Amino acid sequence: MKPLYINGASCISPQPTFGTEFPFEIKEYHGSRLACVEPDYTPYIDPKLSRRMGRLLKYGTTAGLQALRDTGVQVPDAISTGTGFGLLDDSGKFLKNVIEAAEGVVSPTAFIQSTHNTVSSNIALAVGCHAHNNTFAHKGFSFESALTDAQMLATENESIRNILVGAYDEVTDYSCQIMQRLGLIKTSEESNLDLLKHASKGTIAGEGATFFVLSPDRGAKIYARYRGNKLLYKPASGAVLSSAIQGFLAGHGGGVSDVAVLSGLSGDQRRDTLLQEVNTGLFEGNTILGYKHLCGEYMTSTAFAMWLGAMILHSRVVPAAAVLSGTPSCPQHILICNSYKNDYALILLSVA
Amino acid sequence: MQTLKGQIVEQLNLQHIKPEDIGDDQPLFIEGLGLDSIDALELIVLLQQKYGIKLANPSEGPTVFKTVRSIAEYITAHKAA
Repeated sequence: MKPLYINGASCISPQPTFGTEFPFEIKEYHGSRLACVEPDYTPYIDPKLSRRMGRLLKYGTTAGLQALRDTGVQVPDAISTGTGFGLLDDSGKFLKNVIEAAEGVVSPTAFIQSTHNTVSSNIALAVGCHAHNNTFAHKGFSFESALTDAQMLATENESIRNILVGAYDEVTDYSCQIMQRLGLIKTSEESNLDLLKHASKGTIAGEGATFFVLSPDRGAKIYARYRGNKLLYKPASGAVLSSAIQGFLAGHGGGVSDVAVLSGLSGDQRRDTLLQEVNTGLFEGNTILGYKHLCGEYMTSTAFAMWLGAMILHSRVVPAAAVLSGTPSCPQHILICNSYKNDYALILLSVA
Repeated sequence: MQTLKGQIVEQLNLQHIKPEDIGDDQPLFIEGLGLDSIDALELIVLLQQKYGIKLANPSEGPTVFKTVRSIAEYITAHKAA
C-alpha cells in the first residue's frame, strides 16, 4: 500500500500539546488519572452548539478541525477515526437518566452524543464533508484500523488526496473507578513521570484526541511519512513478537538498527513483559522512548505516540522526558511498538 | 414564569443566558433565542418531567413553544385539567 505523508497534525492531550511549540513543556501529575489540557473552543465551535456537547465531543472536534487548518485543507476527501469507548461520559449520562426516569422520557442530547462516531460526524457537519466517514471501535486496534482504512482508500482511489485520520477517547470518574476496582489503574498518588521507572501493578488512565491529515502528496508542511502498521493479537512470546517486528521492518526495506523505538510500556508489570523483552533483546542498543507516562493508558494512545513521533522526526528534537534508554539522537525512523492488553500494534514512521 | 425560565436555561444548558434575560414574549426559536429541533425535544421532556404534562399532539409544538408565556399558559391549562 502507498505510504502517506503527514501534512497536518493536531493533538489535545494531558500535555500542553495544542497550540504550543514542540517540544512542549512537560506537565507533571500526581494521581492515577491524566485529563486533557482543554483549549479555548470558541475559535472552533459555535457556543450555541458547544452548550450541548460533552467534553470529548468538544476536544475531539477541535483537534480534527485544527488538523485541517494546519494543512490548509477545508474539506477532506475522507474521514476515518478510531475510538475505544467513544463518548463514554454521555453514554453514562444517558443510562443514568434512563434509571432516574424509571425508563420514562429522558433528555435526547446525551443519547444523541453517545454513539462512537459522534466526533467524526460532527467534524463532517462542521466542514460540510459528505465523503467516506468511518469510525472503528476495535479496542487497542481502533486507531490502527483507521490508518489502514486511510491507506487503502489512498491506494485504491486516485481521487482521494487528503484524508483526515484520528482517534479520541476519554476517561470519566466512573470508568476510572471501575478500572481501579479491577486493579488496572493504580491507586497511588505517584508522579506520572515516574510511571516507567519501576515496575508495579496497574497503570495510569489517560485520554486524548489526535488527528492527522494524511496524503499521498507532499504538502506545504510535512511532519513525517507514515509507512504502515501491523497488528498482532496475543503473540505467544517475546520471540514471536520480535520475529514479527523484524518481518515488518524488512517489509519496509529497513532493519532493527535503523529505528528508534517509541515503546508503549504502561508501567504495569503484568502487561509489559513482552515489550520489555523486545526492548532489552531485539532492540538492545537502540534508543527507546516512552509516551504513556505523558498521556496515560487508553485504547487509542498510539495516536498520541504517532503525533509525538511525527513531531520528533519533523523538529529533530527528542524531548528528554520521553527517553527511557539509549542516546537521544535524532532518528530517521521511529517504530511505535504498543500493547493494550492482548492487542499489539506496530506503526512505522520515517522522516519526510 | 421566572421559575419556568430558570428551568429552560438549565434544561437547554443555555450558557451565558440568565433567566431574567429571556423576555416573556420573546420568540424562543430561530430569530429569538435561536433554539432548534433538539431543544424542542428537550422542552417536551421538561414538560413531562417537571409538570407531568405530555404533549399529546406534536403539531401543537410550534404554538406551545413559541414563547415562555405560551408555554406557561399551556402548563396552567393542562395542570388544571
